[in-house]
Amino acid sequence: MRYGFYISISLFLLILQTTILPYIPVVQGMYDLLIPFVIFISICLPIRESLPFALALGLIMDNLSGSPFGLYLTFYLWLFISVRFIIKFLRVSNKFFLSVVVIFAVLVENILMIAIFTFFGPVRQLPVDAFVVVTQQFLWALATGPVFLLSLLALAKRLNIQWDGAAQPPNAYG
Amino acid sequence: MVLIVGVIILITVNVILLSFSSKSQSTFGLGRVGLSLVSPFQELVTRSIRFARDIWEHYFFLVSVAHENKNLKKSLNQFVGKSNQWHEMDLANSRLRNLLNFQKAPTNKVVAAEVIGKDPSGWFKTIIIDKGKSDGLQKGLPVVLPTGIVGQVIEAAGHYSKVMLVIDRNSAVDALVQRSRARGIIKGESADQCRFEFVLRKHDVQIDDTVIASGLDGVYPKGLRIGRVADISQRNSDIFYEITVAPFVDYEKLEEVLVILPPQKQNIASQQ
Repeated sequence: MRYGFYISISLFLLILQTTILPYIPVVQGMYDLLIPFVIFISICLPIRESLPFALALGLIMDNLSGSPFGLYLTFYLWLFISVRFIIKFLRVSNKFFLSVVVIFAVLVENILMIAIFTFFGPVRQLPVDAFVVVTQQFLWALATGPVFLLSLLALAKRLNIQWDGAAQPPNAYG
Repeated sequence: MVLIVGVIILITVNVILLSFSSKSQSTFGLGRVGLSLVSPFQELVTRSIRFARDIWEHYFFLVSVAHENKNLKKSLNQFVGKSNQWHEMDLANSRLRNLLNFQKAPTNKVVAAEVIGKDPSGWFKTIIIDKGKSDGLQKGLPVVLPTGIVGQVIEAAGHYSKVMLVIDRNSAVDALVQRSRARGIIKGESADQCRFEFVLRKHDVQIDDTVIASGLDGVYPKGLRIGRVADISQRNSDIFYEITVAPFVDYEKLEEVLVILPPQKQNIASQQ
């Protein structure tokens, strides 16, 4: 049940952001929807399950994107490590905390992309539309990121997904 | 202390690997895993969406079709005349080439492919198509449309491939201004425009000039259209123009593309 849930959600998100959203003009500039999902599995699953899952998602994203190989793998790995580190010290049953983590993660991913272009790219200069892309993704993350993460948690609770991770699942309903 | 050292080592290894992969475009042999796993689902969803849209457009949205049909018939009449003119020129060209003993250009086979996915990030411009190695595709093949150049294959799996668009920042095409033959490099910049770099200021370049592939990069056949010159600026200290090119292809609405296969070896051998 659990594995079916994780695989279904991740496949749905991958298809959504590669096949459906790019053709809807209104949602141009959407952030990486797998970020809230990686945070979700980092919080709620034990390392032996969540780490391979996060790495597998990174590998698939690297394959589907034109980014240098390892960029998403790297980002999801560090996102996972950071979230696991933070939940040791902070209470995860805090909506504000979850919102900040999602928005911050989206910003960090964008900074990583800009760094790749600036330091490792063939032209080595800041992309001309960098400000627009970052602003769009930040605003989308601000508007939908926390809601999306809390919805994932609520859905998991409704489906009676059993948590056996180090961290207790936060109360999505407040 | 051990933790901090471990983190520093991990970050260093990470940066080195990213630097290496971004320069060499290497995927360490793992580049086709995700394509093979996810692309069948992308294909299924894309086909379902198109099927639903086709039903809508073909059966429920016919009001404007009659008007469009009338306009199309009018322009068809004009193009029939032009086509006849070009056919005559083509025949004359063949006769003159025969007179000059020019070798016939090898005709390349083309594979039509459907776009089933786009890059999930806003930073890179790539697409996934539903043809792969089993259809003869390989890394480096040019992808085109009748309107112009689309990009090139950068990863080919069994039945799916990843294509880097001309507008991607990592893309570069050796190009010519069709009218004046001024040469330069087309580089991707953003969603709707490219930069035309290294064009010397001594050459004549004007707004609305057509830019075509020069064929010198070894990827795109000579003469394929890329775009039109949208803006030209000159800095006093620079020996090159700063030119912006608007591509002919609408990359936001890509649905089907053509992949040009390399000329078969037997054909080349028979010509020699």
